[in-house]
Amino acid sequence: MSALAIPAHTSWWRSRGVRRFARHRLAIIGLVMITLLTLACIVGPYLLPYDSLYIDLRARFAPPLTGYHFLGTDPLGRDVAARLLEAGRISLLVGFFAMLLSTMIGTLIGVVSGYYRGAVGATLMRIVDAFLSFPSIFLLLALAALLQPTPIMITIIIALTSWMEVARIVEAEVRSLRERDFVQASRMMGLSSAHIMFREILPNAIGPIIVAATLTVARAILLEAYVSFLGYGIQPPLPSWGNMLNGAQQYLSTAPWLAIIPGITITIAVTSFNFIGDGLRDALDVRSDHM
Amino acid sequence: MRMTDQKQRFAATRRQALKMLGITTAAGVFMPNLLGRPAFGATPPETPTGRIVVGFSQEPTVFNPLMPRIEVDDGVHFSLFDTLFRISPDGSFTPGLATEVPSIENGGISEDGLEWRVKLRDDVKWHDGEAFTAEDVKYTLELIVNPNFRSWRTTGHTLVRDITVVSPTEITWKMESAFAPYLSFLADTFIVPEHILGAAEDPNTAPFNNAPVGTGPFKWGSRTAGDHVELVANTDYFGDGPYIERLIYKYIPDLTVLYTQFKSGDIDIIGSQYITPDNYEEAKTLPGKVITTVSTATVESIYLNMERPQFKDLAVRQAIYAAIDKQTIIDALYYGLPTPTETYMPQESAYFNPDLPKQSYDVQKAKQLLDEAGWVAGAGGIREKDGVRLSFTNSTTSGNHLREQAQQFIQQSLAEVGIEMKISNLPPAVMWGEFWTQSQFDTAMVGVIFMIGADPDVTYRFHSEAIPVQGGRGANTGQYKNPEVDALLEEGGKTFDQEKRKAIYREVQAKIRADLPFLPLFQNMTVRGRDERIEGVEPNINTRIDTWNTGSYYWAS
Amino acid sequence: MAGYLFNRLWQSVVLLVIVSIIGFAVLNLTPGGPLSQFALTPGMTQEAMDRIAEQMGLNRPLPVQYLDWGWRLLQGDWGTSYRDGQPVLDVIGRHITATLLLMGTSTAFSIAIGTWIGIHGATRPYSIFDYTVTIGAMVALSIPTFWFGLVGIYIFTLELGWLPAGNMYTIGDGSVLNYLHHLIMPSLVLSLVNVAVWSRYMRTATLDVINQEFVKTARAKGLTERRVLMKHVVGNAMVPMITLAGMQLPSILGGALVTETVFTWPGMGRLFLDSLGYSDYPVVMGLLMVSAILVLLGSLIADLLVALVDPRIRVS
Repeated sequence: MSALAIPAHTSWWRSRGVRRFARHRLAIIGLVMITLLTLACIVGPYLLPYDSLYIDLRARFAPPLTGYHFLGTDPLGRDVAARLLEAGRISLLVGFFAMLLSTMIGTLIGVVSGYYRGAVGATLMRIVDAFLSFPSIFLLLALAALLQPTPIMITIIIALTSWMEVARIVEAEVRSLRERDFVQASRMMGLSSAHIMFREILPNAIGPIIVAATLTVARAILLEAYVSFLGYGIQPPLPSWGNMLNGAQQYLSTAPWLAIIPGITITIAVTSFNFIGDGLRDALDVRSDHM
Repeated sequence: MRMTDQKQRFAATRRQALKMLGITTAAGVFMPNLLGRPAFGATPPETPTGRIVVGFSQEPTVFNPLMPRIEVDDGVHFSLFDTLFRISPDGSFTPGLATEVPSIENGGISEDGLEWRVKLRDDVKWHDGEAFTAEDVKYTLELIVNPNFRSWRTTGHTLVRDITVVSPTEITWKMESAFAPYLSFLADTFIVPEHILGAAEDPNTAPFNNAPVGTGPFKWGSRTAGDHVELVANTDYFGDGPYIERLIYKYIPDLTVLYTQFKSGDIDIIGSQYITPDNYEEAKTLPGKVITTVSTATVESIYLNMERPQFKDLAVRQAIYAAIDKQTIIDALYYGLPTPTETYMPQESAYFNPDLPKQSYDVQKAKQLLDEAGWVAGAGGIREKDGVRLSFTNSTTSGNHLREQAQQFIQQSLAEVGIEMKISNLPPAVMWGEFWTQSQFDTAMVGVIFMIGADPDVTYRFHSEAIPVQGGRGANTGQYKNPEVDALLEEGGKTFDQEKRKAIYREVQAKIRADLPFLPLFQNMTVRGRDERIEGVEPNINTRIDTWNTGSYYWAS
Repeated sequence: MAGYLFNRLWQSVVLLVIVSIIGFAVLNLTPGGPLSQFALTPGMTQEAMDRIAEQMGLNRPLPVQYLDWGWRLLQGDWGTSYRDGQPVLDVIGRHITATLLLMGTSTAFSIAIGTWIGIHGATRPYSIFDYTVTIGAMVALSIPTFWFGLVGIYIFTLELGWLPAGNMYTIGDGSVLNYLHHLIMPSLVLSLVNVAVWSRYMRTATLDVINQEFVKTARAKGLTERRVLMKHVVGNAMVPMITLAGMQLPSILGGALVTETVFTWPGMGRLFLDSLGYSDYPVVMGLLMVSAILVLLGSLIADLLVALVDPRIRVS
């Protein structure tokens, strides 16, 4: 980690303008895509003539672009387009709130462990390491099997398994900031630790946090898809992008659109957030070895 | 000698199959090519020849047949071990290690059902060459109830007293109380070798458990965990077969892949859980494969938790039942394969009651029933009465796609009559844990085999003293209570006379159908497939798995 | 060095204890349990279930169960699989090869391709190639692995019929070719993300090195660009990549889990899901521990390698 951060990034200056422009173009594409997707998810279900939950067994397995169902129908004859947009609401909300929650947890733990370097900090960072040292999907599945898989629970579970990156980034940032003059000054002024941590240091670390948060949304959407695909996530009839794919493998030969459409949508949403995060990293001038 | 047996056996098989064919076609199910090609000209080879690969979607891992086991484990046990007597597809018992099936008529069981005498074959050898004797049977029956041994079911075995080895080929015991279903339990009890397991320090962890020695048509070969089990022919087998050199049980955890591998010929017989209904149409067109539909004893139903206030009212149960469009579920979601049913008893059983009232999908009737019973629409159009909302949760195993689809369809149907059904599905380990056994569910969508072999006894499922959450010892998780049913079940348990038992269990079915403690949907139909050159495959509704007679499998040359 | 090593090992042990407590708590607080698979067995009664639970020691208080498990583990006894009746280590041992084969192939492939792409991009920064690869990498990182696998099966198995849909080999055909045939799709699918990660890091690392003084000096000495690249740039850029390889282990392992599910690959991932389904806690715990040990070992070895290769780090 440290080895990667050594670079002399002044040497990039020459091409920085070009680079920024390119990056921002991607970020703008991402922003436009995600805005359109979000709008579609908010407004779409009202415009479509179908209810995402309405079952019509006579219309099952209609392929896309035939008849009235623009994206076809699923095994229960429900309109895939309506479900996709309804699912988008849930998946995006899960992604957004999981990000909020995990960023809060990560920031809190990061700030505290970065500020108190002694036993407290060391213990906290060991816990972070412990969480990082087994694949989060293991923990995620075990937790999902333990708790009632409602959207709120899934959000909490995803947050519980994805706060560590933020904690690490914030911890590193705070650790480097705490020796700066303005912090020393605050300390001499007799300000409380809490005040120094959250009022003085944290605002200076906001850049990396925003970047990490954006990338966490992307990650959370992916995690929801993984868990729901494996059948431990959001349960039907409530649609989510992930659970629309659950069972799609079974119909791969007869109804491939059931697998392809939600997958493409997930990829578009996640790519958009990754583009935005990347652009923000540049714009906020955040040095980071994380993607 | 052997050839004649073989022919007769096949003739019998064909008759049974045709009988089944009659039953199922009468129920409106088209059942093509049940027997595959006509068996003429096909005879088993003189010496075991070739290899057959059977695919399972779950992994067999328990090879001590007395320890807790699941269906696919049974599949392997049947090839390796023998029982005293076997259960045939038609529900009758045929001798296995015993020379005859004990009954009151032949004196094997005393008039009061308390004294049992079983005569054994003298020509049976364990796979290691040791002779099989009555001592092995005694050891097996004792080990099952040994408190230090982690055995599977002990029902019936716990009643056995005073086991006496009269001679190497004869054994007797007494029963603490008469228990007619014990024959069925014995037909599902594989005999293990005393000279090996008895010599082990701890039978729970004996090497035997991973390299079993039996008397069956196949010997243990090897196992690649997570992948397959390989068995080899036991040329000294006392019974029919074996006709193949090697038998492989291959584990493929995904039904889609299982089917794909069957199509490509990587597996020769598609075993449990078979071909998914959605692939049935395509499977029928596969060249070189025989695809059959086979009825199983699993009855798909909605279990109601009778202690929930909503379900105390019979009208509610009747209304829910009337609001379910069974036929559409079967036709559209299950591709028309399963047979609608009104009872827990498979229709192939001799005890099946064919005179139960038929459910029909009738929204008006459902509404009327609820109106008359005083359930009127409240907030959000959901009916309620005396402060009880007609709203409940339905649960099942998450990941069972067809069932989840049926669930959602039923949810929509019930909403039309003002009943709210919420869906909350759980992972299998949670669903069938305390949630199910301790009656924590409102309603559950579940496929249950109620029968033990071919025995109609359902005391453990419907007797009021079998409710675990009320301190009972059975599996009456729906908390159903009816004193009349209790009395009938007690009577049936100690009656050995077939005709009397028929009357009793038909009455039980009628009472349960009237009470509706569970809403029967349909009896499952599975789609099975095999390479058309394989002969001897025969479905058996009375075993949990279809590989019960692998000794008779052979490649037609 | 010895002190550093001791410190790292000690920390790793503490980590393993924390991992085991988290894992054990999560698993055992789960409602349901290993007996649920027998709940629907015909003729199975509550009485029998209670007896089996008692015999399996499931009725003891959780802390007791944990301490018992931990104590046995210290003695080298990882417990016995509920489902399989076999020692947990044996069960895992039989599945680990398949996972290592998949991970190994995929990692080797990703390193080779990723390194090439990274260097190629870094030496031609902001070329069309560089842009395409940068964007491609970000998209690749956004595709759900399992979905990519599904699309692969759809195209290469169902439509083209070129590759098998799953499994590690065809029964009765143990040839190397057969294994390779089965290995292609899962390892490529797993590589998608890894190539993306690897090439992006490699690009950054190469760019860092390429502009440093000693490279300029080397160039000034009149060495050919190719020689400069091979001798000075790549070697130095590889140093941080060693750390990366260590850090990437958990995600490769997690990716393998999902990939194994889609392709029914008989590895640890599938074992994990199966064991979770059966509530086979000893195996699940074993898998958690083994993966944590693998990960810790990976990062330790990576750090040691870096220390050996790069004298600057040794001070810390």
